[in-house]
Amino acid sequence: MNPSGAEPTPPGPSAGLGGAAGLLGAGAGAVLLLATTLAVRSWVSSATERLEHPAEAKAKVAIADQAEVAYCTPRFKEVLERVLHSCGLAQDETRRGCKPADVKTFASISDSDFNELFTPLKDRGAVILFDEGMQDLDDGAKKLLEDKWFQRKGARYFFVVARASKSGNQAKNRALSHRRANSVMFHLTSVANDPEIDKKVGLLWLGNEFAQLSKDYCAWPSSRANEKCDEEAINRSAFVSWVDCRL
Amino acid sequence: MLGSGSRFPATLSLIGSLLGLLFASYSTMDYAEHLDRGLHDVHCSFIPGAPPTSEAEACRAAMYSPYSALFRQSMWGGVPISLFALGALAFFCGFALYLWLARDRAPRLAVGFFAGVGLTPLLVSIVMLIISVTKLGHLCKTCVGIYISSFVLAVGAVAGLFTLKGDARPRLSVLFPVGWLAALGLTTLVPAAVYASSVPDQRPYLNKCGSLKQPKMSVGTPVKIHGSRAVQPVLFFEDPLCPTCRAFHERLLDENVFERLDVDLVLFPLDSECNWMLESPIHPGACIVSKAVICGGDRTRQVLEWAYEEQVYLTRAGKAGANVLRAAIKQRWGDDLLKCVDDRKTDVLLNQHLHFASDNAIPVSTPQMYLGAKRVCDEDTDMGLRFALSELAPEVLK
Repeated sequence: MNPSGAEPTPPGPSAGLGGAAGLLGAGAGAVLLLATTLAVRSWVSSATERLEHPAEAKAKVAIADQAEVAYCTPRFKEVLERVLHSCGLAQDETRRGCKPADVKTFASISDSDFNELFTPLKDRGAVILFDEGMQDLDDGAKKLLEDKWFQRKGARYFFVVARASKSGNQAKNRALSHRRANSVMFHLTSVANDPEIDKKVGLLWLGNEFAQLSKDYCAWPSSRANEKCDEEAINRSAFVSWVDCRL
Repeated sequence: MLGSGSRFPATLSLIGSLLGLLFASYSTMDYAEHLDRGLHDVHCSFIPGAPPTSEAEACRAAMYSPYSALFRQSMWGGVPISLFALGALAFFCGFALYLWLARDRAPRLAVGFFAGVGLTPLLVSIVMLIISVTKLGHLCKTCVGIYISSFVLAVGAVAGLFTLKGDARPRLSVLFPVGWLAALGLTTLVPAAVYASSVPDQRPYLNKCGSLKQPKMSVGTPVKIHGSRAVQPVLFFEDPLCPTCRAFHERLLDENVFERLDVDLVLFPLDSECNWMLESPIHPGACIVSKAVICGGDRTRQVLEWAYEEQVYLTRAGKAGANVLRAAIKQRWGDDLLKCVDDRKTDVLLNQHLHFASDNAIPVSTPQMYLGAKRVCDEDTDMGLRFALSELAPEVLK
């Protein structure tokens, strides 16, 4: 207390060290604020620049597609593509299926080479066997056909290659193999519940004129695995398989 | 006890403010970098100066969460709250330096003011910590860095009160704290205002991520999930064992968007067991869990959300083998659902989902969101989600 009774008046904030400290503090705060604000502006500007003028294309992302496996050689795909376009699988085609002459013409391939192409499908596909002169599917055939159909995985196309054995004349066998191909198709249509089945299934019927199977094919999965198989029996058949190729 | 001239409290506050400023800078930098719509590594470390990393799940989840920014609906990504921290902490740095220099010549009012406002970053941090734990379920290291810095700042600010003893200190008008408060408010807003005024317009980029060639499945059906107040049809490609899908689902729930959606869910498991587009499984077991979702029937949403909640466990089970996963499904959902999972029809339906993806030539990644046939870009499903929805499907946000 001073003689007048009042408290001593302390120096104001701008006086002495307190004032300098205030100025320094305010200055430091302002500098930091300016620096951070400029940094923010710079970060945003850089991002805007990258957005408007991308320096490089974004990393490529894999695109979903049908399966493509090793047996899809260029030759295999070439034949398949010809068959697909010629046998009614392409959109807006009115005809469906390929008869022996078509296959010969469009595949442009020898019998043995044609069969050789399908060799890698041994485990993927199966041979549906028929009685002599018949086109009806028995229970074993239906079951095997359904098993194969529902093991689609990533495949786009399902092929049915029907044949007839050498007994009988050419015209009769051509018609018989056609009916066999249709039997398979009818059954698939009834179980698949797929409105686009026509775009997936390729039908070929070869009669006894083209690409007959040798007895070796008896070792392939078939609907009558426990029955006697010879060259006649194995050609009373329809080979069915999904084909894991992109076309 | 602290002496009246002790610099310890101001030193603490200065350290806390500077550290906080550093962490907030990293956070803001990461945020701003994503304005180019790219995917970048983010800073996610307790150590200041540590480089950004791609292994930053928690920090990325925090960044994409609706709690990390304001005004997300009107501005792509919104205004990150770390910007407000930047401005405020610059102010606290300056004020702490002032107290450090002034020592016992600092007015009582200044020390008291600093003790009061120095607590605000801590209070905000506590709120954000609670949100992180209760809503996000994990802690982002950069965020924790800011929490700790705020704590140090607050301790220093409050400790300053203990330096106020009976000694005489300069007196100030009560207008000074009002001015400081105004300065604090201003500095807090400046970086955010600069950011908001300079962000690029993202609207031209919203519709540039492709579209579906055939938006409806011609064979098979997607899984249907109707939100309780659904107004917007939407199509998702998801993998129930994909962490990004889980985070996306959580964002939709947090944003109160999911209930407004009428979802067609197409399962797209990134597991080579059923997905031929992969050479090896990214999420082992995802095919089986996807089938469980398909089999959910009336409980589809519950099965999907169970898969997301138990994702870590189910992924481990998937790696252990199909039977371990099947046992987990049976234990939670019973024998009937497991029988459905093992049914050939379910295999076929899942295969149809995958073919729908390949027929549409979509990118092999999840999640993907489509409004009608238009794909919503990935970046518009995370940071830009609310803005993109406000532009593309505003009724969802009503």
